[in-house]
Amino acid sequence: MLTLRIWAILLGLFIVPAFAQEGGATYDLGINGLSCPFCSYGIEKELSRIEGVEKITVDIAKAVVRVRMRGGKTLTEVVAKKAAKDAGFTLRSFAPASPK
Amino acid sequence: MGLSRPIFMVLLAAALLWPHRAPAGPISFNSALTLSSGEFVFREQGVLSQSGDDPSGADRDRRSIASLSVLGYGVDEDISVFAVLPYLDNRLDVTTGGERRTRETSGIGDVRLFGRHVVVRKNWPARAFRLSLFAGIETPTGEDNESDRFGRLPASVQLGSGSWDPFGGVVATYQTLDFQIDGQLAYQANTEANSFAFGDVARADASFQYRLWPRTFSGGVPNFLYGVLEANLIHQGKNHDHGADDGNSGGLSLFLTPGLQLVGRRWIFEAAVQLPVVQDLNGTALESDYVVRAGFRVNF
Repeated sequence: MLTLRIWAILLGLFIVPAFAQEGGATYDLGINGLSCPFCSYGIEKELSRIEGVEKITVDIAKAVVRVRMRGGKTLTEVVAKKAAKDAGFTLRSFAPASPK
Repeated sequence: MGLSRPIFMVLLAAALLWPHRAPAGPISFNSALTLSSGEFVFREQGVLSQSGDDPSGADRDRRSIASLSVLGYGVDEDISVFAVLPYLDNRLDVTTGGERRTRETSGIGDVRLFGRHVVVRKNWPARAFRLSLFAGIETPTGEDNESDRFGRLPASVQLGSGSWDPFGGVVATYQTLDFQIDGQLAYQANTEANSFAFGDVARADASFQYRLWPRTFSGGVPNFLYGVLEANLIHQGKNHDHGADDGNSGGLSLFLTPGLQLVGRRWIFEAAVQLPVVQDLNGTALESDYVVRAGFRVNF
């Protein structure tokens, strides 16, 4: 019984806050044309102008940009596509990020 | 004196040694890549040009130090506009009548304004191709009638041409995560001012940039170190002076330009040396010894 309580406390201390830090909805955007570090700043800047965007993470080797929204906010494919176009790129894919 | 040699050397050393971040692209000319909509880029490049192999017997030695400040803006995803403000420090040593003379001046040169428009855009995963047209004008903002105690400075020492000189061309860029290739064809029509016109300039440029580091990726956006090799084939027509061609001006030059470029998300630091490998110049036109370029770019 005591062991179970300890596990419950550990869950409360570490695991629950870890999920809470994930914030709102998260999306993976496949971006075509992203082929140098400088390019990544362009797409980051365009995406950061979208209301509700909290965090942008670029994986240049995979040509994927992960966008995390603030709680309650969502990102649509149409808006993501326009941001990619304004930065000079093409949206290849758009999907809610799968949990790690 | 504007940009003194010690200050330039400090800038050069800073460009070579400063830890950094930023975009790829040729060093001795521009790429076809445009800025994203609403994005600015500022580029500063120091250029040291040394010419001293004088076939005329006057033992001419010309040195020019230029600080080129460039501001670019992305109007939309296809169109970018740029302004280039040069600050020059020009010096010519020449032997005349057994006397060694130094002719020099410094100050703002001719401002260049131009725009670039993407006409072909192809995007693939981790690859991109652009074909762009560019056009602009070199404005007569530099002083073109400077004198010293020996009289009016020669045109090669003046800060400006005094003329409105249009230019344009086409440039293509193919970029992957591993390398980038750029090619450009450009032409500048130099018009007349004060009964003098520099010869028109036609040039073909190529650039190959290869990622030296990192060799592999482990996520995120690492800084890239590129090894750069460029070639610049430049033909300048004869100058036109008071209605006649100057047979001792213009000709064909080919430069090979090795360099290094460190590229991050916001910064680029770069340096290159343009070495003449072919100089087929007219008459006693002064040959180039080398051109050193070093600088940085930042986007915001």
